[in-house]
Amino acid sequence: MKRMLSMENFRIRSSTHSPRWSFILFLLLCSCVAPVSSAQDGFKTETQSGSAERLRVAVASFKIGTVDPHNEALHTTFDTTLYNDLANAGIFDLVSKSMAPQVSPGAPAEVSLPQWAAAPSLAQMVAFGTLGVTGDRLAVNGFLFDVKNPQYPQVLAKQYGETATDDSARQIAHRFADEIIARLGGGISGIAETKIYFVHLAGGNKELWAMDYDGANQHAITHLGTVSLSPRVSPDNTRLAFSSLGHDGFQIKMYSLLLGRLVNFPVSGGTNLSPAWAPNGKDLSYSSSRTGDPEIWISDINGSGGRRVTNFRGPDVSPVFNPRSGSQIAWISGRTGLPQLYIMETDGSAVQRLTDGGYATSPSWSPNGQFVAFAWNRKYGPGAPGGQDIYIMEIATKRWIQLTHEGGPCDFPSWSPDGRHLVYANSPDGRAEHMKIWTMLADGTQRHPLTSTGSDMPNWSWK
Amino acid sequence: MPTETIPDTIIATRKAVSRESAATGFVSALTLHLLVVGAIITSAYISRARHPSWGQQASEAGSIEATMVAAIPLPPHQRTLDSGVLTSEAPSPAPAPPAPKAEPPPKAKEVLIPENTPPKPAKVAEKLAPEPPKHPQPTAPEPKKATTGETAGIRIPQAVTQLKNGTASVTIEDRTFGDRYSYYVKIVNRKVTENWNIQEADSRASNGKRTIIVFTINPDGTPSDPRIETRSGSPTLDISALRAVQRVDGFGTLPQSMPITVQFAFDYKQP
Repeated sequence: MKRMLSMENFRIRSSTHSPRWSFILFLLLCSCVAPVSSAQDGFKTETQSGSAERLRVAVASFKIGTVDPHNEALHTTFDTTLYNDLANAGIFDLVSKSMAPQVSPGAPAEVSLPQWAAAPSLAQMVAFGTLGVTGDRLAVNGFLFDVKNPQYPQVLAKQYGETATDDSARQIAHRFADEIIARLGGGISGIAETKIYFVHLAGGNKELWAMDYDGANQHAITHLGTVSLSPRVSPDNTRLAFSSLGHDGFQIKMYSLLLGRLVNFPVSGGTNLSPAWAPNGKDLSYSSSRTGDPEIWISDINGSGGRRVTNFRGPDVSPVFNPRSGSQIAWISGRTGLPQLYIMETDGSAVQRLTDGGYATSPSWSPNGQFVAFAWNRKYGPGAPGGQDIYIMEIATKRWIQLTHEGGPCDFPSWSPDGRHLVYANSPDGRAEHMKIWTMLADGTQRHPLTSTGSDMPNWSWK
Repeated sequence: MPTETIPDTIIATRKAVSRESAATGFVSALTLHLLVVGAIITSAYISRARHPSWGQQASEAGSIEATMVAAIPLPPHQRTLDSGVLTSEAPSPAPAPPAPKAEPPPKAKEVLIPENTPPKPAKVAEKLAPEPPKHPQPTAPEPKKATTGETAGIRIPQAVTQLKNGTASVTIEDRTFGDRYSYYVKIVNRKVTENWNIQEADSRASNGKRTIIVFTINPDGTPSDPRIETRSGSPTLDISALRAVQRVDGFGTLPQSMPITVQFAFDYKQP
């Protein structure tokens, strides 16, 4: 094995050198192979830090508290949503339904902690409660008990009341799941109540849509009858900035989610694309070619006080603020030929190139400021192997890892507010009408699609 | 005269012959070397032409990429053991039926050997205790330090995590908090333990040492003011423990409104 690797290594090297050098290298390698092959074969890896165990949490089926024909459907929705939310969080070791005791305790007096602590459930925490419809109201009582602390078992007790609809049952489950994650996650906030905004392809038009983080409740937001791109929601979830094609070409548009209509944003010359919100919610950065060359501009959210940040030949697009500090921008620049990923201060100083080649697009900065996720084709060119995949790079060290492999072109990664999930668009054959939105944990695991085909450019809300 | 010239010619021919033979030897050696070198080059080119070159630039293909996964804020994965019965996909093999036990045959001439009894100790008369003195004795001063260690009395830590080489244990000074919110103590323990890079501590100097870090958790869950309470004697262990606390951004909102003080003990023990 080792011998083969050495030979391959030689071949790779020799392709970059002249034959004479390859000959010398070969002689050197000939003398090296024998001692090398006697060295250790293969490798072992293991993390030395931390404990691998995760908190084991059980979710009991909620008890139906009242007699009502709507109970069954809402109960199923609630239980499924709560279980999926806790599983998607990726921080718990959930007791599977088949291992949990087949009881549904409704109140603290009814729960028997030893039953949950015993095999096969072996739970450390158990969530349970009551759910019931009275008239048109849905009432939910949720509890979280520490199985290992029988003296003071209660960790959480919550009461929810909403109108009895399927959607509100799901929202209550999201809220309860977020409360559990906030208590047990150790500083990680839940994302069950967050939204994902995306572009929906219908006919020749592209409209902006929204959905819950788990892909449920997909609905249209804009009905402009044109091509709208790159939705970006404001940090306070009140506005949606995007780029839309009109009489003046692509212009930045602003949609108020509170008013449910477009609000004014001034029209400027040239093509204006890819808005990005500053984390303080007061500045908006975007790419504008009003001076002839696409450059990065920053204005306030009403479009006034615009100033140009970059000044260099070649396109500068897709800015994104550092969400932690708000004082840096990552963006894509084509100043050296193919588009590459750069970062700079918001005043345009300290420009630093992060990628060393290929074709990089669509950066998204992680909420803690440590990473940038982006789409990258490292072997770009005619006939070159490799495709466009999602990568994340640690800014401080410029080290990167590839998260998607061999699944067709991937683009538009966007971080979840807890910094542990990513959402992105993928099309197996590269065609826009086959584009789906997928989600995964930030290490590339637990990957699953959220939408059907014809969805693109996802953007995860800030909270 | 000719007698003198003959040896000269002989010497000259001998010199020429030896020079000639040396030249042919050198040429043949050179040819042989060139042949060997040519064979090596040819075999290299043949093997290179046979297999298409693959992979990418060696400078780009580094093993460095694997190390960053640990930096992603995700809990570490549990390894799936192939040997584990519950985790393995393969059905575990049925145990072999026990072999029938055969009684050992009784030996023909088995005679019990009487054991040697040790000699009994000689009896010694008990000494009577001396009479207590009549006048009162001065009492010894109370020790200021606890006899068991540096802390007064023994407190069992409220959460302990056993690691591959070491132990991490938390003690919260407010005892009722630890009893009431024991799940929070476990979260603190797990979070700090996850951020403790044990390899930062020198394995030889730190073995068997214990360092204690004290810090405060604010009501919003952020740790503040971490400091070394008890030095272990191994500076690398002290620093690694201090950094473990400093790496934590927050533990989640405290269940009570008052900040709490936490003692975190790091025990380093090589297996």
